[in-house]
Amino acid sequence: MARPRLAAVTRLFLRVGVTVFGGGDPTIAILQREFYRREWLSPEKFAIAFGLARLTPGTNVLAFCAATGWYILGLRGALAAVLAITIPASVLVVWLTRAYDLTTRYPLAQSIANALLAAAVGTMIGAALLLVRTQSKPGRWIRPVTISAGAFLLAFVAKLTPLQVIGAAAMVGFFWKDS
Amino acid sequence: MNVVVLYLLLVKATLTSFSGLASLPMVRNDFVVRRGALTDRQLNAAVAAGRISPGPLGIYVVSLGYLVDGVPGACAGWLAMITPAFLIIPMLRFLGTRAEHPRARAVARAVLFAGAGLMASAAVPLARDAITNPLSLAIFALSFVLIASARVDSLWVMLGAALMGLIAFQF
Repeated sequence: MARPRLAAVTRLFLRVGVTVFGGGDPTIAILQREFYRREWLSPEKFAIAFGLARLTPGTNVLAFCAATGWYILGLRGALAAVLAITIPASVLVVWLTRAYDLTTRYPLAQSIANALLAAAVGTMIGAALLLVRTQSKPGRWIRPVTISAGAFLLAFVAKLTPLQVIGAAAMVGFFWKDS
Repeated sequence: MNVVVLYLLLVKATLTSFSGLASLPMVRNDFVVRRGALTDRQLNAAVAAGRISPGPLGIYVVSLGYLVDGVPGACAGWLAMITPAFLIIPMLRFLGTRAEHPRARAVARAVLFAGAGLMASAAVPLARDAITNPLSLAIFALSFVLIASARVDSLWVMLGAALMGLIAFQF
């Protein structure tokens, strides 16, 4: 795995913090894809950060950022990741709070926000597909596809919480080893 | 309201919840019901501002802090939002080299694949809100293809979507 400079890590989290709409899930999807492109984080470490973030109190995506930042550059990476992803967005949310009545009535802002939300949804599904495709060993797709599809059904149809789904996946992973 | 009290009330809410908006019932109880520091309308505005801004949904506590005590309140809200995130580091340190064990790696990969399924399931309700006309459908499809191909930087995807929203407004 590549070991990037602090400025590069800060820049990525800063950028994702101000350009990704729709909450934590699209943010994680984008970060997963960018880590993959840059080779900053192994799939196993990504998975540990993803799973443990669900067990951490507070906003899961921030725990995820702290964990991935920590894996990439230690404590300074964790600090840079959390500060970069939250400070500009916090300034923006204060501004939006002040201008709330205006933004809800301003059609141009609505049009751009709707377009960004549609892109966030496309990004999430694209990143999910990319994750399964790139992390599956050649010719061995049954385990990844079964676990991914099972997780989708447990969350979407059975309405299990993400924590319960991750717990179930961990159990499956424990007994159904990678071949 | 004293900014330290504000921070402690907000951090109590964030430390006892496990997702961005899960802290909302406790926040409403403390700020609207018990202390009368906010109205329901202000609380709704804070949540709405959090939803229309980039970043995590839990960012509404920054907006809420601002409504209670201006910029110092927003800083208290921001600190309350980020404080719990660092609890993950002791957990990672505890895992340490245990995570390299083959069985642990198999579990991690299973969690990774479950993450893909969870991402897709979280996208469905968002899609119902986001894909409402042919333009949003086109933006969705284009973003999906560009991201799944792994060749285009996500920044360009987002900027392109914003530009398409801007152009659509002009026509």
